Amino acid sequence: MKRRKFIKQSTAATAFLTLGGLSLQSFSKNSLKQITILHTNDVHSHIEPFPADDTDYPNLGGVARRATLIEKVRQENPNTLLLDAGDIFQGTPYFNIYGGEIEFKLMSQLKYDAATIGNHDFDNGIDGLLAQLPNATFDFVSANYDFSKTVLNNYVKPYKTFIKDGIKIGVFGLGIELEGLVDPKNYKETKYLNPVEIAKKVSKTLKEEEHCDLIICLSHLGYHYKSDKIDDLKLAAQTKNIDIIIGGHSHTFLPKPTITKNSIGENVLVNQVGCYGINVGRIDFYFDDNKNKTSKGKTIIV
Amino acid sequence: MKKTIISFLIILLLFSCKKNTLQIVKIKGKQLPITEKLVSDSSIVKTYLPYKYKMEKEMNTVLSYTSKDLVATDGKLESSLGNLLADLCYQKGNFVFKKRTGKNIDFAMFNFRGIRAGVPKGNVTMQNAFNLMPFENNLVVTELSSEKLKELLQYLITQRKAHPLSKQVKLKITKNGYNFTINGKPINNKKTYYILTSDYLQHGGDHMDFFKNPIKLYLLNYKMRSSIIDYFKETDTLKTKLDGRFVTEN
Repeated sequence: MKRRKFIKQSTAATAFLTLGGLSLQSFSKNSLKQITILHTNDVHSHIEPFPADDTDYPNLGGVARRATLIEKVRQENPNTLLLDAGDIFQGTPYFNIYGGEIEFKLMSQLKYDAATIGNHDFDNGIDGLLAQLPNATFDFVSANYDFSKTVLNNYVKPYKTFIKDGIKIGVFGLGIELEGLVDPKNYKETKYLNPVEIAKKVSKTLKEEEHCDLIICLSHLGYHYKSDKIDDLKLAAQTKNIDIIIGGHSHTFLPKPTITKNSIGENVLVNQVGCYGINVGRIDFYFDDNKNKTSKGKTIIV
Repeated sequence: MKKTIISFLIILLLFSCKKNTLQIVKIKGKQLPITEKLVSDSSIVKTYLPYKYKMEKEMNTVLSYTSKDLVATDGKLESSLGNLLADLCYQKGNFVFKKRTGKNIDFAMFNFRGIRAGVPKGNVTMQNAFNLMPFENNLVVTELSSEKLKELLQYLITQRKAHPLSKQVKLKITKNGYNFTINGKPINNKKTYYILTSDYLQHGGDHMDFFKNPIKLYLLNYKMRSSIIDYFKETDTLKTKLDGRFVTEN
């Protein structure tokens, strides 16, 4: 047991981290497998681009433009997952009039693979969310909302796994505390469970039982709060097994993904792309099958 | 013994090899902006256009009428639009609150910045209601102590902005302080007050911190915009005026 621990530690010691780019000629490209993750958050019913005279986001965003970008990336790498970190609903009259129908239909047309549930996705109540689910061809994942006593029971899974190019990817969802944020009339009997405890449990399951090669947390907790309130950075620091936290809620426009450490000192990425479909995040993971003797650790380029 | 150790090591080796067959060696991450340089996918536009047209039709629905421009800037510490907004929210909110609790709200207060657009002379449409209140703020009733009420008054006096107040309030900033009544009565230190506002302001928006920790908070589950639309629908012609509910001597 001690020896295994030693092996682990020495591997950690040789791991290196590069910021800003490093020549990777030492890796033979052919043996690397590439998984691309594209992600959005807090799109808030923004279907059309902002008008040219908008004070904050002139001529930015728009689902039809996003579709073009996504297609381009998929042509580059068919092994792409498209994810959303919640708050799909609310923000334009499209939601107020159609209740989320068009948002889900368009996301299905864009072939989203999974999404988690944001606080605003409860805005028409859990019944309103359930009513729109037939318009979504993608799955909703949430591990810390217990819907078992609600109409959403069995409609929302804690996690989902995907296999792309032989690589197994686990995606689980985390939602923000509802009390004080969402009217109890809207979330009804939904139980909010401690996101850290749940994340530890689910990521362990994904690692040890599902044998996932890549573990993604789709979070609607928010990027960072100065208070004790749980956020993506605190979650990263208190957990292990998670490779990337894709966040939302706080509408944080990160200039680039954040690299932080997990509870055992390994690197974790935390990313969030603001809101309203202004940006799409792109994360490329390169896997080595270990036959390549030159690989000695993980390089992160952001 | 030696054999056992060797086979143990082999098993260990095999185990660790299996575990590490796929290893992340490189990660690249960046944000991709959605700009006009990306050509719109016409199949996507085709999906949402019928919804857009129908929505625009809905937005053009006439709800009411006004014979003059309603603006938030025609008075000093009050405005015709602010007065209308506070009074209609009081009326619609109090209906819900009274039904639920049997009590009356004392007055309504919102923020000047929260009035996002004027209502121009002529037909008042659904679009006007959305422009006036684009946010999804909900009406809430906060039960405040008389001390917190005095903090609220101090805020109004310090800010000297036309924050919308409903007509139950008479506030006059004088040279030596202020005169204040609710429904003609001065503050009763033994009484608590029910004040209607939005959840946004109750959470401390515009630094209205006196709303933050009320004695009791009542969520009306009624959007401000919905109360505006409901009121517009049932009102043939909008009527509002400056009535001196919030004035200053100097």
